[in-house]
Amino acid sequence: MSKDSESGRYVYCIIKAHEEKISFGNIGFQGKEVYTTKYKEFSPVLSDIVFKKFDVEDEEDVKTHSNVINEVMKEHSVIPVAYGMVFKNKKLVEMSMKYGYKAMKKAMKIVDNRVELGVKVILPKDFDRNEQKLDQCKSEFTERLKQVSFDSKNLILFSERLLINASFLVEVDKVQAFSSEVEQLRSKYDSFNFQYSGPWSPYNFVDIHILSRQKGGFR
Amino acid sequence: MFILDDLLLRALGISVPGLDFVSTLELLENLAYKELYNPENIKNQIKENQMLYEFGEISKYEFENTKSRLMEQLKFIERFEEMNLSVRADILT
Repeated sequence: MSKDSESGRYVYCIIKAHEEKISFGNIGFQGKEVYTTKYKEFSPVLSDIVFKKFDVEDEEDVKTHSNVINEVMKEHSVIPVAYGMVFKNKKLVEMSMKYGYKAMKKAMKIVDNRVELGVKVILPKDFDRNEQKLDQCKSEFTERLKQVSFDSKNLILFSERLLINASFLVEVDKVQAFSSEVEQLRSKYDSFNFQYSGPWSPYNFVDIHILSRQKGGFR
Repeated sequence: MFILDDLLLRALGISVPGLDFVSTLELLENLAYKELYNPENIKNQIKENQMLYEFGEISKYEFENTKSRLMEQLKFIERFEEMNLSVRADILT
């Protein structure tokens, strides 16, 4: 039995690289090497894997997926790939790269040299809501942070306590400016709770679908 | 038979007050089920639970308990959807 028929290829993300192969070490699933192959100017970052079901509840696996991406992000701009994306063999990875090439080119223009930063603003428990004031505060936040970012996305307000849940796509060299803007807002509205997170790979700004009708990330 | 009669009468533009009331009750029941068994609501509660834990408003014990209860509910709803239990088959027609 050939190696290809025994295992699949787990794809973590896509980067732009000139090298035929880059190795990121044995940091992949099942302790396997994370490496790149090449398709034109793009390189999928992958590792060989014995087929298994990837469950979002499996915190260890989710952590491995994001650790690999964080490691790759230290040196490269990435097009993130949805968690659990396993291809049967190398040939299918190449096919997906071929079909997704145009979309990837477009996506890379958006994410190149940029990272995603997340901002959540949470109202204190038993907060006396004044909708007008909250709206003002909301627009001040969004306007000020938009000025130091390339793009932004409002995400679902999954709790009544959430005032803002947004992701911002920020140039790598403007992350410092963005952070100090967040700090200023935090001091101005010190009764609110803040959660400032990142840098993340830009999941909320890339949505490529290949060989699938399902939503979310590169599929 | 009842559903068929109801639909036929409606198609003919005939409204029978008693049947209309039953239909409204069924509609309300369906809406209540949809709200109760909406996976998005549960997913939002899971995220809220995580957020409250991260902000130190609930203990690890409370967080873990709520999380496992919500995950159970979510699994149940997903099974419920897979089995299409919300679709009623009228076996009398």
